[in-house]
Amino acid sequence: MAKMVSLTIDGRPVSVSEGTLIVNAAKTIGIDVPVFCYHPKMEPVGMCRQCLVEVGRPAIDRATGQPVIENGQPKINFGPKLETACTTPVSEGMVVLSQSDKARASQKEILEFLLTSHPLDCPVCDKGGECPLQNLTMEHASPQSRFLFDEKHHAEKRVPLGDKIWLDRERCIQCARCIRFQEQVAGEPVLAFYQRGRSTDIITSSEPPFDSIFSGNTTDICPVGALTTADFRFGARPWEMKAAASICSLCPVGCNVTFNTRREAKSRARTGTTTAGGKVVIKRAMPRQNEQVNEIWICDRGRFEWHYVEREDRLEKPLVKKNGKLEKVSWKVAIEEIGNKVKGNKEEVVVLASGRLSNEDLFNLKQLADGLGGEALLYDSLPGGELTTKYGVSAGTNIGDMGAGTTILVAASDLYHEAPIWHLRVKQAAERGATLIIVNSEATRLDKYAKHLVRCEKGEAAKKVRELGAAVKDAKNLVIFFGADGSSALAEACAELVKSRAGKPNNGLVGVWPRANDQGALELGFKPAQDLQAVFEKASVVYIVGADPIGDGAIKTQNVKRKPFIIVQELFLTETAKLADVLLPAQAFTERDGSYTSGERRVQRFYPAVPALGETKADYAITALIAAELGIEVEGRSAGLVMDKLAAAVPAFADITYGKLAETTEQWPIIGRADLYYGGTSYQNSQGLGVPLGRENKKAEEGSL
Amino acid sequence: MLAEKYPNEVKKILAKYPPERKQSAVMPLLHLAQLEAGFVDRHAVVEIAGICGITETDVAEIIGFYTLYHDAPEGKLRLQVCTDISCALRGADEFLAKVCERLGIQPGGTTPDGLVTVEAVMCLAACDKAPMFQVQGPDGIAYHENMTVDKTMEFIETARKEVK
Repeated sequence: MAKMVSLTIDGRPVSVSEGTLIVNAAKTIGIDVPVFCYHPKMEPVGMCRQCLVEVGRPAIDRATGQPVIENGQPKINFGPKLETACTTPVSEGMVVLSQSDKARASQKEILEFLLTSHPLDCPVCDKGGECPLQNLTMEHASPQSRFLFDEKHHAEKRVPLGDKIWLDRERCIQCARCIRFQEQVAGEPVLAFYQRGRSTDIITSSEPPFDSIFSGNTTDICPVGALTTADFRFGARPWEMKAAASICSLCPVGCNVTFNTRREAKSRARTGTTTAGGKVVIKRAMPRQNEQVNEIWICDRGRFEWHYVEREDRLEKPLVKKNGKLEKVSWKVAIEEIGNKVKGNKEEVVVLASGRLSNEDLFNLKQLADGLGGEALLYDSLPGGELTTKYGVSAGTNIGDMGAGTTILVAASDLYHEAPIWHLRVKQAAERGATLIIVNSEATRLDKYAKHLVRCEKGEAAKKVRELGAAVKDAKNLVIFFGADGSSALAEACAELVKSRAGKPNNGLVGVWPRANDQGALELGFKPAQDLQAVFEKASVVYIVGADPIGDGAIKTQNVKRKPFIIVQELFLTETAKLADVLLPAQAFTERDGSYTSGERRVQRFYPAVPALGETKADYAITALIAAELGIEVEGRSAGLVMDKLAAAVPAFADITYGKLAETTEQWPIIGRADLYYGGTSYQNSQGLGVPLGRENKKAEEGSL
Repeated sequence: MLAEKYPNEVKKILAKYPPERKQSAVMPLLHLAQLEAGFVDRHAVVEIAGICGITETDVAEIIGFYTLYHDAPEGKLRLQVCTDISCALRGADEFLAKVCERLGIQPGGTTPDGLVTVEAVMCLAACDKAPMFQVQGPDGIAYHENMTVDKTMEFIETARKEVK
């Protein structure tokens, strides 16, 4: 436990650990010292001077080494000059005045200086409404400037920094947050200052420009509208949008996000990829704080690649094949058609589901398959991935806590491209002193942080991991991220190394899955599909949900001799959907609620952001309809009720309820409140931090491993 | 390019710094790259980044920060006039404006014949001899102190003849 230091800030006592900066100490008692360049996730630089405060320290008697007492109070010496709250650590007995006349005058002057070279184009600026400079100006600055309007700084307003981010040079206040984010957090120093003084500009010289998958985060922490995303630029005003909590569905990290939505004007024909007129559409995805998962960051995939849910070719009505053609029918007709076909072939039903589905969808599908005596298969997961249900990382695991004493092994996975936020967090763990070992056939961007780099041929990773055995055995903590390397041998070799550590926080396996909820599917008892061709040959009914094995080339239809009755549940008319006998339109994850289980075995809830499209239904509800038609009882009324059933049936999910998933605790740094200048525009998490899964069963934990 | 044209010079420069601090070689390498054309082109930026083990953005930042490095081909003769406060008190602002007026360009601009660029720069540590400017050539930097507009035009004319 660090030594505690007591001080007063604006007359209020506060006790914080030694080394805490004044700005953070103030934050803990709700005092917002204004800042621009300081950011709680980065090293302080003290270059914007906005946080100047008066600092007094107790006078010490040189002879005795004791504080000087005057009139029964310690005598406080104030320095002749103000000090930057963002670089000055607290000390015992310190007295900080952030609202004194002197401090307020300086805060006002800094703003006046900044505004001499900042255009007041707030009415057309994306940041307007959630802009630290705008807010601080309203709060602290003078309505009059003493500078000449004609001498205002002018610069280029449309500078593309790569294809995702735009720079408005005029708006930049040179706080260097973006530069420092790329340097310190992302580890990709592709931004820099060019020129100096008033001419200072942000530049990128990488090829391609602004070459970083984390680039979007710079727009969140930019305290002005200098950096904006090409995707959202001029898209909406912040106050027009509603916020819906969600979970990114693109990789197994499970980043907490917030979708901002807006009802578009009837006259507005198009927005992004969708026809908008009168519809509620998603305008942007923002990170939502979860310090155990994604902190306050998301990658550019998560920020920009959700657009597919709004594509125009979404299925809106059930379709049934008549005379070789898919025809629109009512739900009743479609479900009856399924009932008629399946009733005679119950045992030969195969459910083929993908890890895109929520826990609730997958649970219902499993219930249906079990009720019919059929099989529930998971489409295209990681070879040997089911071992994570036994030896996956335990509750209490947080990459953010890992440092010296922890060994992290990344085998056959390129985290940068497959699970970018894990790349970021593993990189930071390595910088904090964790031993990073990488076994891979190809170079990855994580390599430069590795203590040991093992190159191997494709398919040889398992062998190399086994050879590592002794080297990692003595690590205090051991976490292994593994990807696909041909066979389940790699997963087995990794499992062997962590077997004896089951149940310990910060120990265990993490599967780098292709999809958001592969982990959940396996936890719920889905079996990885081995030979799809054979499955199609054998089954009389195949119920494919959220997967496109034909489009992916996993099945060659011309080779399938016996054609089963095919039910497809999808968002789009995929190649597989074209072959369906019954095609059921599902809701996108943005239109409904549900939960995913992340690769770190954390169950997290997502909420509806936009109204459902056409006649689409949630996957779990469609499955329940089919089950009802076949006389099997499956919950379909709401996702929360499905979770209750799931928790009662699957031990690992025991005790999980929608209420628990929505619980939050205070997180550090405190972000997203009135003072956006401190942490940026990442959303505060008020809708749930999720719950880690328990052990599958106690025996696996204690058993004879 | 550098490595091909000036292999010995590059080797000599690198030898001055310990291998783990080779990024320090970026400054002399930039001077070397600038020697012929008077500016550092994109290829040289990439090459220097490679030699020093730093990013291209880092190299570009250094070029941007220092007034003696250039990343675009401007005039053959770059008059860099100090306009910081002490020089300004001795009339550097007015001097700069007049020189530019005589040449028919804006500060930072280049004459149509591509010979002269005039730009304002930060302190050159010759406050007592302002107005002054510096000119960088292959042999180093020359200071021209206690200047008048006429003397400056004379200097430019002499240089113009030499170039032709």
